[in-house]
Amino acid sequence: MVLLTNLVEDSLDQGYARAAARRAAGEPASRSGPVFLGVGLLAVGLLLATAAVQTRERASATAEARQVLTAEIDDRSAANERLERQLERDRSAVSAARRASLRITAEGTRLARSLTLLESATGAAAVVGPGMLVRLEDAPDDPADADADPRTDDVTQGRVGDRDLQTVVNEIWAAGAEAVAVNEQRLTALSAIRAAGEAILVDFRPINPPYEVHAIGPDDMRTRFVEGFGGSYLQVLRDYGIEFDVQPDDEVRLPASAGVAIRYAVSPSAVRSEGSGSGRPAAEEQRETQP
Amino acid sequence: MIAAIGLVLGIVAGLFLEPTVPTWLQPYLPIAVVAALDAVFGGLRALLDGIFDDRVFVVSFVANVLVAALIVYLGDQLGVGSQLSTGVVVVLGIRIFSNTAAIRRHLFSA
Repeated sequence: MVLLTNLVEDSLDQGYARAAARRAAGEPASRSGPVFLGVGLLAVGLLLATAAVQTRERASATAEARQVLTAEIDDRSAANERLERQLERDRSAVSAARRASLRITAEGTRLARSLTLLESATGAAAVVGPGMLVRLEDAPDDPADADADPRTDDVTQGRVGDRDLQTVVNEIWAAGAEAVAVNEQRLTALSAIRAAGEAILVDFRPINPPYEVHAIGPDDMRTRFVEGFGGSYLQVLRDYGIEFDVQPDDEVRLPASAGVAIRYAVSPSAVRSEGSGSGRPAAEEQRETQP
Repeated sequence: MIAAIGLVLGIVAGLFLEPTVPTWLQPYLPIAVVAALDAVFGGLRALLDGIFDDRVFVVSFVANVLVAALIVYLGDQLGVGSQLSTGVVVVLGIRIFSNTAAIRRHLFSA
């Protein structure tokens, strides 16, 4: 308390009182003159103005940086899309060339047919067929919730989560679907539906609501889905305000998956006999434990 | 008169010349501004009290700015920079408030 009292009562620099006392005692006043004061005030003005300019500049720099980043994101997304289209073109060129060369022999023709089947099954090729569309949409924003902290759990109740989408997709597969795509992203046997923060990622690419799951499958797929666990799961979601509908679609077009990577499994013994342990720590470790 | 011209000249120079503050000095600018404001309000109050002294004013201004910056610099080196700047702002803020209160009493006698 003494500290605070001191602060409040001694707020005026004691130098002023002393200088006044000196003057009262008859000492000649410090005759540094008004120029001295002028220079001092010039420094004050300079400092204040510089601080103001600095603050304004920093704010605009932040906005600029954000704009640059947004532009870069747009740029890269566009480049990505361009590359994807290019990939699709190249792929179809490759498969056309392959078909043409396989057609030469009878064995090749048979191989080509099974290749086509396998490609549609694995998601490596675009497919067309009858099927259905399942649409999921987040609950409409409750105006009372608009002020709520988005980090609390309550707000996420009416949102479609990665679990929900996983369940729906799995039930669609279980209902007999032959090919499934979420928001135009074809799913393969290795696809993952995950969440990062608020966003849902399909094969590590973020997707936005509304979520549209297209599926190609037999005629009874829709009834099996709606009457099975998938349908009752959607009913439960409806209690949270999530809207859905399931429609039949005579002609569903699904794109090829962009992420079909071919991986080769290698048995550890093969690696050891090859003798190249680089990049395979498991094999390397094994070798080290055997003197 | 010269004092007023100096102040205006300083502000105009700062606004139009836009002196670039070196990066290492930037964190101390806000604290320096608060310290300068403290000196300015102290001077204004002394003026109204009738005991203004230009030498005391200029010296207190320069010393305030330097000491405030030094404290924050020291705090940065010790890893308690934000706490120390809070301390400086609190102390100078209280002084500014009580000085402006005294100025208000002089001007409005209330």
